[in-house]
Amino acid sequence: MGHDLALLMPEIAVLLTAVGVLIAEMLRRPRISLSIAAAGLLVATGLTVPLLGTETNVFGGSFRIDALSIWAKLILLPATVLSLLLARNDVGGTAREGTVYSLMCLATFGALVLAGAGDVMFLVLGTLLTSLATFALVAYPDDDSATEAAMKFFVFGSVAGAVMIFGLSYWFGATGSTLLADLARTDAVPLAAILGLVAVVVGLGYKASLVPFHFWAPDAYEGAPLSIAAYLSVVPKIGALFALTQVVSDVPANSGWPAVMAGLAVLSMTYGYLAALVQDNVVRLLAYSSIAQSGYFLLGIVAVGSSELALPSIILFAAAYAAMNLGAFAVVALTGRILSDFNGLGRTRVLMGIAMVIFLLSLVGIPPLAGFVGKFLLFAAAIDVQFTWLAVVAIANSVLSLAVYLRIVVPMYRRGERASAAPHTWPSIVVMITFAATFIIGLAAQFFLAGLVR
Amino acid sequence: MLPLVSITLFLPLAGAVLILCLPRPTARTVHGIGIGTAVLTLAGALAMWLEGVSGADFSQVDELEWIPVIGAAYRVGVDGISLPLVLLSAVMFLVAFIFASSLRERPRAYVVLILLLETTAIGTFTALDALLFYVFFEVSLVSMYFMIAGWGHEDRQRAALMFFLYTLLGSLPLLLAILGLYLGSPEPSFDMRAWIADPPLSGAAAMWALIAMLITFAVKIPAVPLHTWLPAAHVQAPTVGSVILAGIMLKFGTYGLIRFALQMTPEAFREAGMVILVFGVVSALYGAFAALAQTDLKRLVAYTSINHMGYVIVGVAVAALTLDPSVRAVALDGAVLQMFSHGLVTGALFFLVGMIQERAHSREMGAFGGLLKTVPLLGWSFILAAFASLGLPGLAHFPAEFQIFLSTLGSVPAAVVVVLGIAIIAGTFLKAIRETFLGEPRQRWHAMPDLSTRELLAVAPLLVLTVATGVAPSWVLDVIHRTTSSLVL
Repeated sequence: MGHDLALLMPEIAVLLTAVGVLIAEMLRRPRISLSIAAAGLLVATGLTVPLLGTETNVFGGSFRIDALSIWAKLILLPATVLSLLLARNDVGGTAREGTVYSLMCLATFGALVLAGAGDVMFLVLGTLLTSLATFALVAYPDDDSATEAAMKFFVFGSVAGAVMIFGLSYWFGATGSTLLADLARTDAVPLAAILGLVAVVVGLGYKASLVPFHFWAPDAYEGAPLSIAAYLSVVPKIGALFALTQVVSDVPANSGWPAVMAGLAVLSMTYGYLAALVQDNVVRLLAYSSIAQSGYFLLGIVAVGSSELALPSIILFAAAYAAMNLGAFAVVALTGRILSDFNGLGRTRVLMGIAMVIFLLSLVGIPPLAGFVGKFLLFAAAIDVQFTWLAVVAIANSVLSLAVYLRIVVPMYRRGERASAAPHTWPSIVVMITFAATFIIGLAAQFFLAGLVR
Repeated sequence: MLPLVSITLFLPLAGAVLILCLPRPTARTVHGIGIGTAVLTLAGALAMWLEGVSGADFSQVDELEWIPVIGAAYRVGVDGISLPLVLLSAVMFLVAFIFASSLRERPRAYVVLILLLETTAIGTFTALDALLFYVFFEVSLVSMYFMIAGWGHEDRQRAALMFFLYTLLGSLPLLLAILGLYLGSPEPSFDMRAWIADPPLSGAAAMWALIAMLITFAVKIPAVPLHTWLPAAHVQAPTVGSVILAGIMLKFGTYGLIRFALQMTPEAFREAGMVILVFGVVSALYGAFAALAQTDLKRLVAYTSINHMGYVIVGVAVAALTLDPSVRAVALDGAVLQMFSHGLVTGALFFLVGMIQERAHSREMGAFGGLLKTVPLLGWSFILAAFASLGLPGLAHFPAEFQIFLSTLGSVPAAVVVVLGIAIIAGTFLKAIRETFLGEPRQRWHAMPDLSTRELLAVAPLLVLTVATGVAPSWVLDVIHRTTSSLVL
């Protein structure tokens, strides 16, 4: 037990951080609460590093310490810190800003629980934890649009969560165990396996905003403070996708889950980009783009268990996605939410323009940026398990995505128009960090892949 | 020994970084750094040329680990096929910088983009790692997109978008082919040398990979029917963009056709050889006829590019179809020399058309007449370049096209119908010369100035090399032949 707790030090640190932030907030010290949050999460990141390479589990197999859960911490904790900096820009000076930081820490804790889930109870716990915290975060501004967004999010999330719990009961009935590792036993009862899987896909698909469980995402992103939208598009999403990876690695292949994942991937990528093509609101555009990007993750998930490229591709793309997506949102925070706010940005603020172009090209998957290496490995993983057609569809969608992202780039370099981007310290720092990361993850992919591929 | 290839490859990038680091540089400084870097890069390319190539294998190889777990590495080197193209790039970019040195509209970004393009061009020709090749191949697209979108003519946004979407759509199949070759190779590696020495795919898989690669390279070359982006992009691109696009970037396609399609899936290429040959013939003839129908000088030159690149496809297809190694060597010699010549000649033509446009703000042949009397230097330069383009003996295209036709006659006599293209192109250029430069000078162009020193410095090197390659092609052919004669397919 003591050993188990030692392995969970990072998670415990995150939880303590959340509590510490809340205490500082009760003392009405918002600056201190922000410092505690950032420092605590960075400490938790530091505590994770020595665990690299560990493959074990705790609490009788119900929580896993493996590549997925360790990298989830290394990716999501820094991503949360960056979101905190963005949030400072949005909610700084409002009445209860400390609660925002605390809720973000708790939601991240939930995402980490999801990413390491080895037991269906942890799946439920993680989903509820992230959901409850993020409902409140979306509603924080307390105006009409935020309330409406939070309401939609809440109704959708509750139904999806209930469906998931209901479906998971089939798995428990078939195997007599809540451990994911025992799912192999559903071999004999394929119907129960399928029903449970569908339920999990509903629950996690909603968190990851996969089509057709995505309806809440554009509205929630639009209504929420920008930093919360950025946060939602990265942290809970990656947590849910990692959880999905954990689940399918134990579901017997004869249930046909790879085909289901491939179908969802096609739907998400295609619908996401087609819908993004007609948006005039940059936040909604990025929301639909993040729906499509979730679809790309599924290319790697399809290959889980059959190709050794599957895990590295998912993890690398998660890191790349976190960097480039947060970067793009940070530029939006500095510029404005409407497409026309970007007119002439590349001419007035040259460096910020370059940064935005790099983030968007990385989202398309242009080499040598992070997004390219991630997508490249995802394609390789899919082809490796004979899903070449899926890689072809993904590639066709990459072209579509170029049209989507160029809708932001083109006005940025239009002649004779001047965008005014307000210089704010915190988002600018986020832009710089994510900009560097977008290059480094692309060029130094070796660092992420070492130890993952044998 | 110095890693010459890497130095030459990264010099332009270093120049770009230097410009970006300078706080508020003047236009003079920026252009000075651009030209200086291009001179140094040319010196590097010349040093590579003196170092030479050994024959069957790649020479001057530099290798460095990049992502060892998946077998991707930084690997560069040259052989007789790529070395002339590297030299061509270094020359073309230097004259491009000279020509661009009068630009005052955001010169910093412009020069940085061209320097970036230079690194990607040399990188594409020297990469020996498929992933690295793809990186350079794609980055060139981004730079060219911003060049057309930022400094092009009236309808530049649409043309730039079309160019980017078309060529990205075109290049993604190559990614699939690379993944196929990677997953098919015995040990995970992106080493192109291993794929060439021992093609990893066979049968249907090889054919699919070949089809994917052919789509990519046919868009880039461009071959009919995937050529529609080219005239639009050229018409809207700034002069330097056109020169680089036609002079260098089209060669990415034909170079890839040899390096990837022919060398990595030779069996499938031989099977599909006839089809590819037909595409080459159709491209060459279509390009020629379409050029004949143009009244816009820039579009005319753009269509002649499609014609000339069609000959390259014919040469490569003949090399695959023939069983006689000596005929194959002749065909490939012709194809590679054709790429080199086309860069020089078409580069010069686009410069000259651009100069006419800068003076007259028109490219319509009908608007001119008698220009030879008002601007004799410009006129004679154009006539020389046009004669080279139509394949006059003694000028650069003649030895190349002659070898292509010779080998075609030896193996697939029916395909010699492609020679018709020469006659049509001759007619096209003669018509253009008559309408633009001959006859009585018009009143409104009397004040047109002749070539300035800057313009002369940009065009003259290309014309000198055109004559040198035409009169004594052996200085390039010897290098090319060393590789093509020992090529095993």
